[in-house]
Amino acid sequence: MIRFSKIVFTITVTLLIIWILPWCYQFLTTTKTDTPFTLYSGVINDFAFIEHADKGLTYKDVKNQVYSEHEFDSILPLFFYRQLLSEERLPNRLFGVDLTPRLIQTENFNFRIDPNAVNTPSIGLYPLLESMSGRVDLEMPDDVFRLSERMEFIDIETNAINEFKTNVFTQMLQKKGFKFPAKSIAGNPTDRKEYDEGYLILDAEHNLFHVKQVKRRPYVRKIEIPKQVLVQHMFLTEFKNRKFLAFVSDSQQRFWVLETQTYTFKQVDIPSFDPACMSMSIIGNMFDWTIIVNDGKTKRYFAIDASNYHCIKSLTYEEPELTPMQKFGLYLFPIQLYFTEPTSPLIFPRWTLSWF
Amino acid sequence: MKALFYKEWIKTRWFFLAAALVSLTLCEYCLLNISRITELKGAVHVWEVMLTRDAIFIQLIRFVPFLIGILASLVQFVPEMQQKRIKLTLHLPYSQNKSIGTMLLFGILLLTIIFFLNFLFLIVYLNQVFALELVSRIILTAFVWYLAGFLSYLLTTWICLEPTWKRRMINLLIAVALLRVFFLSETPEVYNTFLPFMVLYTVIVSILPLWSVQRFKDGTQD
Amino acid sequence: MIECSNLTHYYGKRLIFENLSFEVPKGRILGLLGKNGTGKTTTINILNGFLKPHSGECRVFGEKVQQMPAYMRQNIGMLIEGHIQYAFMTIEQIEKFYASFYPRWKKEAYYELLKKLQVAPQQRISHMSCGQRSQVALGLILAQNPELLILDDFSLGLDPGYRRLFSDYLRDFAKSEQKTVFLTSHIIQDMERLVDDCIIMDYGKILTQQPVKKLLNAYRTYKFNVSSDFEFNSPELYHPTQIRDEVEMGSFLVFDEMRQLLDSNGVFYQNLTAQQVSLEDAFIGLTGKY
Repeated sequence: MIRFSKIVFTITVTLLIIWILPWCYQFLTTTKTDTPFTLYSGVINDFAFIEHADKGLTYKDVKNQVYSEHEFDSILPLFFYRQLLSEERLPNRLFGVDLTPRLIQTENFNFRIDPNAVNTPSIGLYPLLESMSGRVDLEMPDDVFRLSERMEFIDIETNAINEFKTNVFTQMLQKKGFKFPAKSIAGNPTDRKEYDEGYLILDAEHNLFHVKQVKRRPYVRKIEIPKQVLVQHMFLTEFKNRKFLAFVSDSQQRFWVLETQTYTFKQVDIPSFDPACMSMSIIGNMFDWTIIVNDGKTKRYFAIDASNYHCIKSLTYEEPELTPMQKFGLYLFPIQLYFTEPTSPLIFPRWTLSWF
Repeated sequence: MKALFYKEWIKTRWFFLAAALVSLTLCEYCLLNISRITELKGAVHVWEVMLTRDAIFIQLIRFVPFLIGILASLVQFVPEMQQKRIKLTLHLPYSQNKSIGTMLLFGILLLTIIFFLNFLFLIVYLNQVFALELVSRIILTAFVWYLAGFLSYLLTTWICLEPTWKRRMINLLIAVALLRVFFLSETPEVYNTFLPFMVLYTVIVSILPLWSVQRFKDGTQD
Repeated sequence: MIECSNLTHYYGKRLIFENLSFEVPKGRILGLLGKNGTGKTTTINILNGFLKPHSGECRVFGEKVQQMPAYMRQNIGMLIEGHIQYAFMTIEQIEKFYASFYPRWKKEAYYELLKKLQVAPQQRISHMSCGQRSQVALGLILAQNPELLILDDFSLGLDPGYRRLFSDYLRDFAKSEQKTVFLTSHIIQDMERLVDDCIIMDYGKILTQQPVKKLLNAYRTYKFNVSSDFEFNSPELYHPTQIRDEVEMGSFLVFDEMRQLLDSNGVFYQNLTAQQVSLEDAFIGLTGKY
């Protein structure tokens, strides 16, 4: 008994040491790592960025040409359109398209994928908004649904299953070939958006369905997935421009756009992207998108042509070199135990071996 | 064994009754709060906040089991260490490990009863107003806090029964670090995958107080 | 009953005792005398199994103390210094608690003793005086009816009345049932009434172990006058002290032997007297006043 106690004690102390000491050391030796705000400019056909220096902000492009703030706004007219508008400097046409503030606003979008959110297990209850209520604003519904062996609607006030609605939706799904139980589901369960496109649901056989509620009736549409594409993660977008329904990543880490009108998949020309461990931001406008992919070490920028999703240019910011103190830390603590990590909210012991 | 339970009961009954009362009152307060918000802002709002903003409405009791565990141990074992009264129990014609084990078992049983009552209280109400997924979200999140209650009890006992102050301090530091693991995140259900291992470890840790008692019996000095 | 051999113990770097050996035969009441810090409580703790000595061995009932099987402890009655008990229990509760551990438990012995105290059975021990608590402790031991009793400073905190009551009861119990008792006390007068044998400890070793009667018969306090400083020393003379012209010391030598020793060593003395003294005086004489 006592010997077992001593073993438990020794193991506990060892684990605590390899958890706490490296953490303390890192806490004391952390340095600020910053990458400048970078965006692709269709005007100069290259990336431009804002650097933070001691004397303030510096506006540059990749060729190291320096701009004034005034000039910088002009090379990114669709991003700084409000500033240009207020100074009456907004161009009337750009790349053969008549520009209006309304058009720019509609076509601009921002999108973000955070691995933390991707790795958060879903609760399993989803509100299905009415997508054509006839009202300007969306309203949160008074029920939620779960996907078990059927699409079950639970009335919130009574906490009881609405059998009628459940049957209506379940039967419609089954009629369209949906096989329960579902594998995954994607949507935006909020009323703070322009419109509602319901949910994308992957069934038991990896078939993809678009499901929404239209005038209290189920709308279900099976979406053809390209051959050899196994959908892994889906992100319903619901942007103002209504051009694309979702972004999708597959098992081979390819990134796709699912277009709204045609329900067709178009691959975006970026290298492997795994949403479970990489973050992505997209700052998009009607002509081009700047996609930023961060895998924790390297930040890569891709300029994507909005008309065909081909990559125009790319830029990489390598992880800054470790300071001597940080390098020494890796030798001092060959094994590090940690319970939290930036890409997942889950608490679980993980370790790294820094000598290998 | 019954006699030891009897002795522990006499020693600690008022504390455990108070702990049960306080914890159930706080649970009741949390549940009343849910009712109140439902009244004021509607059930839809409550569900929405739970689904989209990680609310679970029982944050108030997050540290309650942890504190109950510590106090239970202090109430049970500080009197034993005052003037080394534990010698009276260790002198009994009953195995030393069994004696201490019985005392620990008593504490664990009482805590189990109190914590179980808390859960029962919560589940009965929550099941009426929330879907199963939301109830399990709340309960699984709270489970970690209650497990911390058992761990804090065992670790505090380990510290109390240790005869030397120097070692008590070391044990205290270790205990603080271990308990910290249970409170690394406030986000609901993030401990789900780790939970079985945490339960196992808590069970294993119950052996540490026996080592403290052996050190006491050896007359270990600072 | 008790056999300790070559016990050595340190507290940190401080030596308490070295190669301490003694035996306590069955049916005897043995008192351990020593100044504070000579290791009385250390010895008791080793005997009770609450201290592992640095080296050496202690056997009770033939078993090594540290490895004694639990059931054998039913034959050892223990009293902790200060009559410490579980004060949160009442008289009734504490009897009920202990009774279940001892198959030979004699409830009547406990309650008979406590009747004298005129306290209600629902009285909490924490609300009792020191003297009353000592009777509770004694009552529990009597009820347990062990073969061996180990008592650490049974007089601590007690009024003379309670001390007398305790020692009388204890002696009666021990003698009538052939019990073996090993005890310590800082009040030596109490020991003298109670014990058969004594061990006197003095910083690291045993000075003497013998029956009290024999010790008191053999030991004498010698006094005599001298005209100059008395500087003679001999292993047979214990702690000679001189105040002005009077020298006082202890010895086991008889009167004639003392006279011979002093004469043969050229000590000039006058008015040599020998006195048989109490155990307390003998103890002080043997161990010194300081």
